[in-house]
Amino acid sequence: MSENLTLVQAVRDGLRDEMAEDDDVLVMGEDVGKNGGVFRATEGLYDEFGGERVIDTPLAESGIIGTAIGMAAYGLKPVPEIQFSGFMYPGFDQIVSHMARLRTRSRGRYTCPMVLRAPMGGGIRAPEHHSESKEAFYVHEAGLKVAMPSTPHDAKGMLISAIRSPDPVIFLEPKKIYRAFREEVPDDTYEVPLGEAAVRREGTDVSVFTWGAMTRPTIEAAKNLDGEIDVEVVDLRTLSPLDIDTVVESFKKTGRAAIVHEAPQTAGVGAEVTATIQEEALLYQEAPVERITGFDVPFPLAALEDYYLPEPERIESGIRDAFDF
Amino acid sequence: MVVGDVSTGTEVAVVGAGPGGYVAAIRAGQLGLDVTLVEKDAYGGTCLNYGCIPSKAMITATDVAHDAGDAEEMGVYADPEVDVGEMVEWKDSVVDQLTGGVEKLCKANGVNLIEGRAEFAGNDKLRVVHGGDGQGSETITYEHCIVATGSKPIEVPGFEFDGEHVIDSRQALAMEEYPESMVVVGAGYIGMEISTVLAKLGVDVTVVEMLDEALVGYEDDLTRPVKQRAEELGIDFEFGLAADSWEESGDGVVLTAEDEDGETTDFETEKVLVAVGRQPVTDTLNLDAVGLEPNDDGRLATDDQARTDAENVFAIGDVAPGPMLAHKASKEGEVAAEVVAGEPAALDYQAVPAAVFTDPEIATVGLTADAAEEQGFEPAVGKFPFNASGRALTTGESDGFVRVVADEESGFILGAQIVGPEASELIAELALAVEMGATLEDVASTIHTHPTLAEAVKEASEHALGHAIHTLNR
Amino acid sequence: MPREFKLPDVGEGVAEGEIVSWLVSEGDTVTEDQPVAEVETDKAVVEVPSPVNGTVKQIHFDAGDVVPVGDVIVTFDVEGETAEPAEETADAESEPADEAESESKSATSKAESRTFAPPSVRRLARELGVDLDSVEGTGPSGRVTEGDVRAAAEGGESEATDASTEPAETTQTTQAAEPSTQPAATGRQEAAGRDRTLAAPATRGLARELGVNIDDVPAVEQRDGEAFVTAEAVQQYAEGGQAAQAGATGGAARQYAEGGETTEPYRGIRRTIGKQMAESKYTAPHVTHHDTAPIDALVETRAKLKERAAEKDVKLTYMPFVMKAIVAALQEFPILNSELREEDEEIAIKQDYNVGIAVATDAGLMVPVVKHVDQKSMLQVASEVNELAQKARDRSISREEMQGGTFTVTNFGAIGGEYATPIINYPETAIMGLGAIDERPVAEDGEVRAAMTLPLSLSIDHRVIDGAEAAAFTNRVMDYLTEPELLLLE
Repeated sequence: MSENLTLVQAVRDGLRDEMAEDDDVLVMGEDVGKNGGVFRATEGLYDEFGGERVIDTPLAESGIIGTAIGMAAYGLKPVPEIQFSGFMYPGFDQIVSHMARLRTRSRGRYTCPMVLRAPMGGGIRAPEHHSESKEAFYVHEAGLKVAMPSTPHDAKGMLISAIRSPDPVIFLEPKKIYRAFREEVPDDTYEVPLGEAAVRREGTDVSVFTWGAMTRPTIEAAKNLDGEIDVEVVDLRTLSPLDIDTVVESFKKTGRAAIVHEAPQTAGVGAEVTATIQEEALLYQEAPVERITGFDVPFPLAALEDYYLPEPERIESGIRDAFDF
Repeated sequence: MVVGDVSTGTEVAVVGAGPGGYVAAIRAGQLGLDVTLVEKDAYGGTCLNYGCIPSKAMITATDVAHDAGDAEEMGVYADPEVDVGEMVEWKDSVVDQLTGGVEKLCKANGVNLIEGRAEFAGNDKLRVVHGGDGQGSETITYEHCIVATGSKPIEVPGFEFDGEHVIDSRQALAMEEYPESMVVVGAGYIGMEISTVLAKLGVDVTVVEMLDEALVGYEDDLTRPVKQRAEELGIDFEFGLAADSWEESGDGVVLTAEDEDGETTDFETEKVLVAVGRQPVTDTLNLDAVGLEPNDDGRLATDDQARTDAENVFAIGDVAPGPMLAHKASKEGEVAAEVVAGEPAALDYQAVPAAVFTDPEIATVGLTADAAEEQGFEPAVGKFPFNASGRALTTGESDGFVRVVADEESGFILGAQIVGPEASELIAELALAVEMGATLEDVASTIHTHPTLAEAVKEASEHALGHAIHTLNR
Repeated sequence: MPREFKLPDVGEGVAEGEIVSWLVSEGDTVTEDQPVAEVETDKAVVEVPSPVNGTVKQIHFDAGDVVPVGDVIVTFDVEGETAEPAEETADAESEPADEAESESKSATSKAESRTFAPPSVRRLARELGVDLDSVEGTGPSGRVTEGDVRAAAEGGESEATDASTEPAETTQTTQAAEPSTQPAATGRQEAAGRDRTLAAPATRGLARELGVNIDDVPAVEQRDGEAFVTAEAVQQYAEGGQAAQAGATGGAARQYAEGGETTEPYRGIRRTIGKQMAESKYTAPHVTHHDTAPIDALVETRAKLKERAAEKDVKLTYMPFVMKAIVAALQEFPILNSELREEDEEIAIKQDYNVGIAVATDAGLMVPVVKHVDQKSMLQVASEVNELAQKARDRSISREEMQGGTFTVTNFGAIGGEYATPIINYPETAIMGLGAIDERPVAEDGEVRAAMTLPLSLSIDHRVIDGAEAAAFTNRVMDYLTEPELLLLE
């Protein structure tokens, strides 16, 4: 059986199912308990599982993350929520100094099976700090997995995989598309493996690599170019570890690539994909890799965010550049 | 506190859950579309909550009371006591049952329900303002939008509804206590239906009508029996008078009406019901945001697929051109949903039946004989009076007739008019005939059950063909 | 309303008439009794009058046509008359139907805008893209049925498919045209024309700079299972193309007409010669020995003897001298007068001296044989040579006259040339080719003088004869040619 769910409903569904299945799974964060989460991602969990497993924390990101690390080190499977990914920074030290290193530091005696969930990205007219897209910070830290689903089906499946993973996962949820569309999501538990990209649209002229909320405008741009350029769209889904095989296979087919991400361009994950492409498939390359990204500025105020975020027209233009070279 | 505005995406946004909107939403859901239905008040809209259903419930209840007390001929002696409060409660329970049913049907068909008032916020965007609680608002991004915001009673200048002295039809049907007297401004179907209800409850009703006739738009021989019965019930008619002003007076009001020469007449009464018509509701939609403008009559222009001038915006029901009838809205809702789903649907119906639930009922569909002639047909007309109908006689209701209008040469049935018992039900057969392109022959040669009122339809058709059995052929 | 006018019976038992001339044209207005045509019967020319007021709608015969009486010759349009069926004789039965039809037509034409059809049929019409108002209804009273709509859809479809085949055709032709508009690489190396090529980005850049399509560069290497090209390969390909281009464009920029080719049959004598040549050349390893004989003395001798021969009606050429010289030499070097029989593993030394003379005829090369040259006198040989040559040219020569040769002489010099590499006349083992007898410089005693010389080209089958023998034989032949009086001793 399945139901049509939005992405945030699918996240909730995944949390609920895993909490029902495994008593060690617990949820913690600001407003997640009695309020059911500011985006309703944890709605009803408090009523179902009680305050011991659905914990309302103080406004203290470092504490939230640090406490979760401690819980994880000692056998629980915490799924802390940071209300907006921009607020992970106060807890950054916990993430990179401890969450990422527990296993190697202890030579495997202590592991950190936690999933740090955070809504990320722009497009909701929010004030400062609430539209961050800094997945690159966590991709750069060895010892962390970084996941970013773009569909309800993937959200539930990847969250379940993340919760079941023995190692820490940063689970970034693109809030712009929290409710943008519904998709059939199975009622039971299922896994969508981390580290696997998904080819959303097959093509032969240009490979476009993208993730998160940018997947939809990229697919729209590809559709607009139908008949002119045959565009392949690959949704990376997991940014670390990168699905190099799928990326390279796609690039070898087309020889031309574009990358679309809302994070700023410099040192964004797009740079990593570009480097990988030229390492693995230089001889197939027929054009420079086009990066269509956010600009190297702090995320702008709400009134200007439409100029900042890549939209179908800008994406089409970038794809054309790759194709025409 | 939620920071930011996470918009909900949907394929079809339907604004208004009346008989147009909820039907469109359910049909869209059936066709596999992702549909969101926004309603600011109650599911079922005016029809279910304040109009069709409440009025018919009250009509039936008052009929029962009235008929019970008027059946001495049949050997039934009764003097029924009416508890209006209970009657209204019962009416409300019927309404609740139906609105609950609408909600269930919507959910069962995968329709997402959002409560609030929707307005356009740019192309492909609706802003839904949540009422009361201070829940703020949310944004819906849509691929298609069906506007079904319906209509509201026209307010006559000087007669703003205050719910106490000057009321509208909705308030009239919600009264738990009935006044002793009432002036009903407007002798259209709403005015006439409610007048009948009031009269049967013992209210002293005066109908003040600007035009010279009641139920203008229906042929005289249809309205005559209705007017007669109304007068028998004690309803006074004042034609050619326009309501001008009113002022409080003691427990009631004095209403001043003016004729075309400027002469005034005063009416003393407890309350005034103004029922001069309804106007489409479009001012809440912020139509500018999608570049739409209503016509002079307040409607949104649409084509035969219910599309407005704005790409991907549809308009159905009372906001769209055509008769303000719930079943017409439902039809448009079905068609709009099918069009969005890519089906070759269109509004190509041949006729919309209409019914007036007065005593006796009137119902019509298609062309009158005059209209048929104007359109170049040579009409063949058949008429069968109910006083020749066995069944009608057995119900004690034998005023009225069935008239069928057809094309003389081809026999195609072009229209029908009925006044009499169950006219609203009987018209369905003739609506089907008009829609199918059935001929007089088709109806006349179909066996109709005996003894039923429906036989009158058959006989009227035979009459048009010149060989009716139970009445004299001309 | 059209009114037909038949050729009237002009009386006197006349059955037909010839239209002499028309007095009106189509479109002219005519009045009753106005003459419209002149018709000649076998008695006289008469004028034919118009029976009506109206206009000439159509003239059915030309001037000069002979028309039977009673045939319609002209049709008039008469003003003011309403349409009537052409058939004036109507059945009593069909009349009411006709009347009803015409009446119904006039009635429905008033209310034409309304089409009667059930809702399901309307929907079907929309689905199939049929305009309901244009469908003829076959249901009662003209109601449109499902069948009517489907029939209308199909009728329209055949038109639609016709229309749709056209674009398909044009796209096909444009597609066919495309390959030809692609520039064909004209490099010396052939264009590879691949779908994909692996190359370093720098190489791709180079290709672009040089205006070379990287998929055309011939690839000698493969990487990852795909063709891979280096920058050098691109460079080379580009240069090859340039050279070829330069060559091609070195000449005039004219367009040359392509001639194509004609063919002629490879049959008969031509084919036979071909087969023989092939067999001989591909079987025997040919070595040709060249030398030049100074023949001033021979020239003098022949000149002297020519007249005497002419008295005996024999044209004396050099050929008999040469043949005699050869035969004399053959007697000393019999190995050149042989046949190799490989299967039998033996060389047959011929004891006869039958010399074939290669003659060029219209039909090709023929070799008549003068038999027993050793036993015939010079004059005899000369006579026979002439005779046989003539017969060969006439095509009157017999097979026997061309068989039995043991040695062949070919005088290409008669046409011109100095040396050649004649092909041995299989199954012989040697052939002597004669170049043109001409004055050539001859060195003698340290001095160069002009002398008459005869170049010799002796081809031998080296399976049987060695070069030394060939040389020795040739020397001997030259002895006799240089000093013809030696032949007297033979």
